[in-house]
Amino acid sequence: MPLLEVENLSIGYQTRKGFLKAVEGASFTLEKGKSLGFVGESGCGKTTIGMALMGLLPSNAMIVEGRILFEGEDLVKMSDDQMRRIRGKKIAMIFQAAMNALNPVLRVDDQIAEAILTHDPDCTKKDAKKQVVSLYELVGIPRERMGDYPHQYSGGMKQRAIIAMALSCRPALIIADEPTTALDVIVQDQILKETKNLQKKFNISIIFISHDISIVADVCHDIGVMYAGQLVECGKREEVFDSPIHPYTHALLASYPTLTCERGALKSIKGETPNLIHPPDACRFCDRCSRSDTTCSIETPVWTEKSRTHRVLCCMPERTG
Amino acid sequence: MTENRIDRSMSDRSFFRKSHWLTRFWDGWSIFKGNLLGRIGMTLLILFALMAVGSFIPPLIDPMYHPMTGVDPEILNSTGPSISHWLGTDFMGRDILSQLLAGARVAFMVGVSAAFMSIFLGTAIGLIAGYAGKIVDTLLMRLADMIMVMPTLLVVLILAALFGQLNIWTIVLIIALFRWPGVSRVIRAQTLSLKQRPFIEAAKVAGASHVRIIFRHIMPNVLPLAFLYMTFRVTSAIIIEAALAFLGFGDPGTVSWGMMLQWVWKTGHMFKAPYWLLPPGICISLITLSFYMLGRAMDEVLDPRLRKEGEVD
Amino acid sequence: MDTHKKKSIIELARVSKFYRSKSSFFKEQKEAIIALDQISLKIFEGEIFGLVGESGSGKTTAGRLIVKLEEPNEGKIYLGENEIAGLKGTPLKDFRLKVQMTFQDPYQSLNPQLSIYDAVAEPLIIHRLGNAETQKATVSEAMTAVKLSPPDDFFHRFPHQLSGGQRQRVAIARAMVLKPKFLVADEPTSMLDASISAQIFNILLEIRKKYNTALLFISHSLAAARYLCDRIAVIYRGNLVELGPAEEIIQNPRHPYTQALIDALPQFARCEETVRYDTLLRPERQGSTVGCCPFFNCCKIADPLKCSREKPPMEKIGEMHEVACFFSETKKSENA
Repeated sequence: MPLLEVENLSIGYQTRKGFLKAVEGASFTLEKGKSLGFVGESGCGKTTIGMALMGLLPSNAMIVEGRILFEGEDLVKMSDDQMRRIRGKKIAMIFQAAMNALNPVLRVDDQIAEAILTHDPDCTKKDAKKQVVSLYELVGIPRERMGDYPHQYSGGMKQRAIIAMALSCRPALIIADEPTTALDVIVQDQILKETKNLQKKFNISIIFISHDISIVADVCHDIGVMYAGQLVECGKREEVFDSPIHPYTHALLASYPTLTCERGALKSIKGETPNLIHPPDACRFCDRCSRSDTTCSIETPVWTEKSRTHRVLCCMPERTG
Repeated sequence: MTENRIDRSMSDRSFFRKSHWLTRFWDGWSIFKGNLLGRIGMTLLILFALMAVGSFIPPLIDPMYHPMTGVDPEILNSTGPSISHWLGTDFMGRDILSQLLAGARVAFMVGVSAAFMSIFLGTAIGLIAGYAGKIVDTLLMRLADMIMVMPTLLVVLILAALFGQLNIWTIVLIIALFRWPGVSRVIRAQTLSLKQRPFIEAAKVAGASHVRIIFRHIMPNVLPLAFLYMTFRVTSAIIIEAALAFLGFGDPGTVSWGMMLQWVWKTGHMFKAPYWLLPPGICISLITLSFYMLGRAMDEVLDPRLRKEGEVD
Repeated sequence: MDTHKKKSIIELARVSKFYRSKSSFFKEQKEAIIALDQISLKIFEGEIFGLVGESGSGKTTAGRLIVKLEEPNEGKIYLGENEIAGLKGTPLKDFRLKVQMTFQDPYQSLNPQLSIYDAVAEPLIIHRLGNAETQKATVSEAMTAVKLSPPDDFFHRFPHQLSGGQRQRVAIARAMVLKPKFLVADEPTSMLDASISAQIFNILLEIRKKYNTALLFISHSLAAARYLCDRIAVIYRGNLVELGPAEEIIQNPRHPYTQALIDALPQFARCEETVRYDTLLRPERQGSTVGCCPFFNCCKIADPLKCSREKPPMEKIGEMHEVACFFSETKKSENA
């Protein structure tokens, strides 16, 4: 049984200007020990999915339909209390700019110990501290820095501390939302490598959310490309990167500067993302798509399976193959 | 949609600037309407505004209703509510209701003028202090500190004792002179934070002079805050005027609620004429409360964090 | 690119910038944070020059010194033949006509109270260039150059109605409306989604082509710098460590820090498997790097005797390739 199975998830926000359909019809699965990366522009709904999995949607958000089956249980139907027990213990989240999630007036090791004690009331303070020591070793922060305050840590160290906190309760699933955005290139590379190692070591499933395709490409087994609230392509990393089908995936890949691409050859995607309060009924990407024609603006795209693991949401998948 | 926009020429530019304000105003209004305090405050204020406007009516109906000079030929002392005098009369036979209405007018006048003047002064000084920094900032802020710690009411009383009865506009001026420090501190803080923003640096790089930066870039971003503070200033101005009048230092030629309370007290009718004592007191409390509620509701309108609700990633 | 024929438009000669913490009653010594340490470089007319480094490396400070938002503590900066220190009045305004800047944060670099037209026309109004008619034409031209078309659509809008990418383009239009000779682009895409960056890069390339404006592209991404720039300078903790043609820096990096940056690039960006230099020392050495090589604490190939005592100067190792490392030649022979 897969660890996480999401079926036809649709989430919307009630705003003053109308009902914003942030996520529509997202379905995906995640096996134990595997990592899944969601990639897409800001506003495509990837963070919303992450929050929904944690049960941390704001008060004006509504899960319109769909199921989130985590270890067989539907998270959508759970009460706040039940979600609180799962949150942190079974599913942990690393937020955007998580470095600001550390309380500036408490020592870092105390904060991590507190997280451990909250979810495991039987654990003693001494044991909790011992666990913190081993966690620090895992994430690569020198032991002497354990008792410091957050402001004494560099950006990379703070992020490692956050990862340690997320790992502290040995969750089955970690959701990492843009975990390395504010970090320098070298630190980012180190943290991503360490995350990969930790994942293998503890057999944790990770959901990576990023707008940067290169991060997701390096770390994840499976990729989900999102556009305007919809999952438009889903598959193994090799399948999506080596043989992308959806024009948006093509465009994303073509817009990233690599070390060998020619000057002037980067293709930008013209146009802007559609209004999600009144999204078009037909394909949401068609007015920015280089391969669209009239059918795309009339028909609703359906899922086509290219292989058992690779599927795409497009009106003309054959044309774009 | 594009076709419509292309038709508009540059001469419509000013219209669109106004319409931007309109959309912002409309957005703000909808938040305001949703706030319970705002609704109550607004209703009360409208009531008082109507009273102020209506203060011109009674003397037109009959000269005996004039708040200062109207004397009912039949009544020579304080009487309770009756058909010809809905709230009764004061010790001289003047109609209390018309005095109450006139008092509303004075309250608004005093409150709004004093608030406006103190905002004007406070914003100007806060902008200069925040933008110039260093010595100018230090000097101005120490001046503000000195004025801020002085007890306004006491100083005004002393001045009144020295110079005798003060004209209402002098009182307004003095209130303004004592109230600007609070505003200037807030405006200065806002200016300091704006000064660092990239768009100010961009203006510098484009070659803008300091004057241009202050008036074109900083001031428009600081004014909403200034107006918010105005609502708070109004309450204190009204209370100070009422207190002064009550203590006998008000302008004897103006009928204000404080003045009415003074007359009740001085003529010994405090416990004898509740119809005379209660209305002005209640009015002072309510108008202060309504401005305060307005200020609280506006807080929500102006707070950018609250405005961002509903925007999603 | 033949550098002998090209004129230099901006030159930094041994420029340093440091910030002293305010001396208090209790502190005797004034501690200084060195943002830039004796930087020297030349940027030629019409060239796109990349300055690549991590946060805190001083790259943004260098840009700010060039546009005179701050003044250097040591050294001189030249625009063409003229020193720019101490410019006031009309010469300063002339300078501003020629040197412009865009900022990193598109959400904060536009005045929220000004319409897009007002924001872009502002430099023209400040310098009193043209009348309302010609100004409108210039603004339209600038907006079209940054692909905000049709311009009329955007004139009446306000910044909060635009996306981050659009706002950054407005900022570029505003900088270009004066047709400056030199534009500092400070991390123009670091706050934008990766997919929108491509558009900004292409716009910058077109601007250089159309207006022959020299560009200083400040970034933390070597891949982006390689895409955009003719030459790249790598800066580490306020020191220039390597400088040379873009392609050369990428294919044949000599400084261990540049090599570490290339190693750190995501595999995806590297296409084929390139050689790993593996020059980073983990864990780092501790200690101050004043008076010695700034990269000493993180460097695997450093010689504890030489590198901790002297600071390596920038030396020419190729036609236009300079490196500040005592062991740049050794590494070459290892990789050859």
